Amino acid sequence: MACLPGSMQAADIRAKADVACQPTAGTLTYVCTIRLTDSRTNEPLTGIDLSVGADMPSMPMMHNVRPVKATPGREKGTYQAHIELEMAGEWALQLNLSGKLRDRLVQVLRFEDGEIAREISPAAPRPARQKH
Amino acid sequence: MDDYLIGVLSNVGVISFIALSAYLLLLIGEISFGQQAFFAIGAYAAGIATALWGWPLAAGLAWGAAVAGAAAVLVGVPTLRLHGLYFAIATLAFAEMVRLLCELFRYQITIDGEPTGPNGADGFRNIRYIFENDIGPLQFLVLIYALLAAALLGFMLMERSRLGVAFRMIGEDVALAGLQGIAVARFKVLAAGLAGALAGIGGGLYAHLTTYVEPRIFDVMLGVHSLAYGLIGGLGTALGPLLGVLIDIGLLESIRSLAGYRMIIFGGVVAFLLIVRPRGLLDETVVHYVRRTWYQIGRGRGN
Repeated sequence: MACLPGSMQAADIRAKADVACQPTAGTLTYVCTIRLTDSRTNEPLTGIDLSVGADMPSMPMMHNVRPVKATPGREKGTYQAHIELEMAGEWALQLNLSGKLRDRLVQVLRFEDGEIAREISPAAPRPARQKH
Repeated sequence: MDDYLIGVLSNVGVISFIALSAYLLLLIGEISFGQQAFFAIGAYAAGIATALWGWPLAAGLAWGAAVAGAAAVLVGVPTLRLHGLYFAIATLAFAEMVRLLCELFRYQITIDGEPTGPNGADGFRNIRYIFENDIGPLQFLVLIYALLAAALLGFMLMERSRLGVAFRMIGEDVALAGLQGIAVARFKVLAAGLAGALAGIGGGLYAHLTTYVEPRIFDVMLGVHSLAYGLIGGLGTALGPLLGVLIDIGLLESIRSLAGYRMIIFGGVVAFLLIVRPRGLLDETVVHYVRRTWYQIGRGRGN
């Protein structure tokens, strides 16, 4: 699970997202569970319109995954989105919040086919750079 | 308008700035693999200005362009003495130096209880001006294209001026341009500065569009693409690099079935065009032909 801070437009709510992506049966397809909370109170953020897009940091703006709408999950403040990537590697997931809260949170994860996506942490050594 | 379409069009607009930046250097006959460095400098400078210093977006973008332009001039003075392959390698080395410096650069202040600002390899998150100021995706798209239109207008005016002629003369033959009384070194540094500023504006827009930048974004891949756009689109007009961007991100991106093979196809297109049309699709001959036809049509109407 990965965390990152963000915030809200008018009110003083700062959103935080925990993202976990599990592989599905398809090639490079994942189901991502996103937990949105207020970073100050840790209260779950419900009723948010959430869409999830992705971009490759190593090739910015050149691979755009069409944003998919996330659906509310069973737990309060959780959302699920099915994403399909073009290739394995590091992807910056863009979480676009709209509706009662407008914001964009970015989470960089490493995706390998058939494996659980791993958060890219600056503290952890990065794997060798991928070849395109 | 569909959010995805707005996103793709925003990307096309933003990347056009770095494509125009590389194009300007191609005009003076220099191949730069390092324009992504100025894109990075613009992104960090503009992001710091709005997210950390609380500047308005316009001032932040102007600051990003100014810092990137100044950096380009500083780099241009020693490197523009080099030519061809040596210049290309020098720009690549500088860009890698900037990228590595970004990995070391830490400048954070606490805003609303959250540390905000560049944090080395973790990048620079929360450049949230457009969200804090309720600027919608469509409004930001309009801003991108308004700035791009201004840049294109600037190029068109430049092409008709003595400055544009001097740039093209230098691009054709440095020695001959010098013999014609053109201050080659001064014009080259000016071109480098303008190209840096253009890339800086693109970087500033990118940082605010995505709210997040990190050093790996400014990899050589971005520099290679920015250069390729001018080479495939054409060097006859500033619309050439924009055509290159449209071919890559607009056309190839829209063919989703290509998926991960898109880059291979793009590389093939670049290689093919460099063989059959070394000055790109909209080269000087095509532009001249279009202009002549346009004037003839205009004259025919006048009679």
